[in-house]
Amino acid sequence: MNIIEIKGLKKDYPLGKTTVNAIRGVDLSIEKGDFLSIIGPSGSGKTTLLNIIGCIDHATSGSVKIAGKEITSLNDKKITDIRLHQIGFIFQTFNLIPVLNALENVEFPLLLMKNRTRGEVRKKALSLLEAVGLNEHIKHRPSELSGGQRQRVAIARALVTGPDIVLADEPTANLDSVTGASILDAMRTMNEREHTTFIFSTHDANVLKYARKVIKIKDGLIVEE
Amino acid sequence: MNLIIKISWRNIMRHKGKSIVIGVILFLGALLMTVGNGVISGMDRGMQKNIVEGFTGDALIISEKQESDDVLMEMMGKAVAPIENFKQIDSALAKLPYIKKRLPVGKNFAMALNSDGAIADGVFVLGVDFRQYRDFFGDNLKLIEGNFPEKNNEPFALIPTGWRKQYGEYYSVILTPERCKPDTSTLGKEILERINDMQIQHDIVYMGMSTENTTTDIRVPVNAIVKYRSLNTIWGMFPILDIESYRECLGYFSAKDKVADIKKEDELLLSASSESIDDMFSGADMFETEDNGRDAITLTEGSLATVKQVREEEIDLNDGTFNMILLRFADKANLEQTVKALNKDLSELNLGVRVITWKKAAGIIGSMAVLIKTSLFVFVMFLFFVAIIIIVNTLSMAALERTSEIGMMRAVGARKSFIRLMFLGETAVLSAVFGGAGIVLGIIIVNIVAAFNISTNNDMVQLLFGGDTFRPFLSLLDIGLALIQLVIVTLIAVIYPIRVASNIKPLDAISRD
Repeated sequence: MNIIEIKGLKKDYPLGKTTVNAIRGVDLSIEKGDFLSIIGPSGSGKTTLLNIIGCIDHATSGSVKIAGKEITSLNDKKITDIRLHQIGFIFQTFNLIPVLNALENVEFPLLLMKNRTRGEVRKKALSLLEAVGLNEHIKHRPSELSGGQRQRVAIARALVTGPDIVLADEPTANLDSVTGASILDAMRTMNEREHTTFIFSTHDANVLKYARKVIKIKDGLIVEE
Repeated sequence: MNLIIKISWRNIMRHKGKSIVIGVILFLGALLMTVGNGVISGMDRGMQKNIVEGFTGDALIISEKQESDDVLMEMMGKAVAPIENFKQIDSALAKLPYIKKRLPVGKNFAMALNSDGAIADGVFVLGVDFRQYRDFFGDNLKLIEGNFPEKNNEPFALIPTGWRKQYGEYYSVILTPERCKPDTSTLGKEILERINDMQIQHDIVYMGMSTENTTTDIRVPVNAIVKYRSLNTIWGMFPILDIESYRECLGYFSAKDKVADIKKEDELLLSASSESIDDMFSGADMFETEDNGRDAITLTEGSLATVKQVREEEIDLNDGTFNMILLRFADKANLEQTVKALNKDLSELNLGVRVITWKKAAGIIGSMAVLIKTSLFVFVMFLFFVAIIIIVNTLSMAALERTSEIGMMRAVGARKSFIRLMFLGETAVLSAVFGGAGIVLGIIIVNIVAAFNISTNNDMVQLLFGGDTFRPFLSLLDIGLALIQLVIVTLIAVIYPIRVASNIKPLDAISRD
């Protein structure tokens, strides 16, 4: 079953008097539970593709369906709800809320959902922090955590709502190789445990061995699958 | 909501510098506003108290024929219409339980003449029975020179320092009672510089104009130089005369006239209006007598002189013409309602008079507190306008600096409404903490200043104080008003920054990284 279906996707950015064709016609289907890596050189369109799949950016043309629902024509409120309920994000620079501690950061999306009791929220967040090996750092604020620990918090936060898809844009880019490997291990473990679809971009060849499926993108087009 | 408050509070603590800048502005604004409200309210209350207790009473009864309500201060208006039936009105008022005191007074415009008989100055004169006046107003007059009148039926003039100064500067005359030395501290700089050229004068001549456009001069001795205990700058332009001299000056019926032995036909003549007199002495029927069914008027020799043959012991000063009756009510809280009720009662009794509040009677003076209050309110609002601009700028900068954080929140599913509430929460917490502290400190300052009982004898400062003592005052309404102003300022200040923050897109956060 395809969780993501993309057809004829194009994305153009105006740049002064010229237009940059970041995505020039992508067709792609991703199955539920995939652990997929998008690789390609800088400027190839990896991040743009991830942003469009993650409802963070809009397509210029084409169709993007998530769990069978077309997302290109939705308004801001509905798009936000899709991000909250169906998509988890792990950003390159460990975007956590600086004034909340690790536990509160993980709880944040669940509290936005407003469909669980305070106790359930806490229990779920704690179990995920334990799963990523951070049960001893739950009271630490982002500034008190290492890069790897922050990225683990981001993984826990991305998974806490039970999303269909987790998107990770170069999740190991700012980490040393050992920490990067442990993050990918954690992602892989969660993928196997929760059957969540993971899509991550990278241009690091060492990361590729973790992926079950790889697509290569160049100049806004998929050149190898 | 707990999440928003938690994030808001922690963000405030995280951005301490900006929080303190905004907080201090809110604190100072709220403090100024609260103290300003206290000063204005105190002044308003002082003005009311000093006008009501020192000059006007709670309300005034005037003739129904009186067109304008501005009976005290209207400069170029018509003469204040006379009330001829005070005794009848007084007996009706005595039966009304909500009227505590009443004082009939004459008040009109007269010309003061100088020693050459030339017109010197126009002035509002008050005619009163001084015993009743003292009973009504207590010691609102401070004696500067001379003595207050002791006998009730003797002519007197009580000259306020303000008008003596004005008259003296114009005609190089110092008015002072017999056997008194002028108090130089009340004469003013200009008179003191020319003191050797000044003439001393112990009486004053006023010329009044009757409703029939005839004029009468009266000469009255200056009994005393007085100063109104508060708001002398305003009331100091109102010399006080005995009511009989006042009536004579204005051509009104006096109490002496009433007790004079007047024959029936003379009484008819004296009470006739000018038109009816013209009618009587013109036309073909002017010599017709009883047989035409109309009373004839025959002036017997010496009959008008008889009018003046007054038996002093029979004089009732209330039995003559007045212009207004000042009233003091038992319940001052519901002034408008009491005035309405009294107007209804008077209308039913058909006494030809109506009641107005002191504010209406005092005209511009009655509105002065409101005017000053409005001016200060505008000033405080101007301060807040400046504060709003600074707060808007600081908060907008803070929003832009937090693009990554806000964009990430949006990326993980926070709606725009959450971001709006978060920003509103931060500003509301700042406003509540710092603005609240400003209001509390303002209340403390107002109460401390009021406890000092700061007094002044300076006329102009008294105007600002609303009396001789500076007593700022804050009612619950004033405090409520300060809170509402603070809330409004907070809401206005946060509108634009909220817009900036809620328009931050998740992509902005990523692009920034």
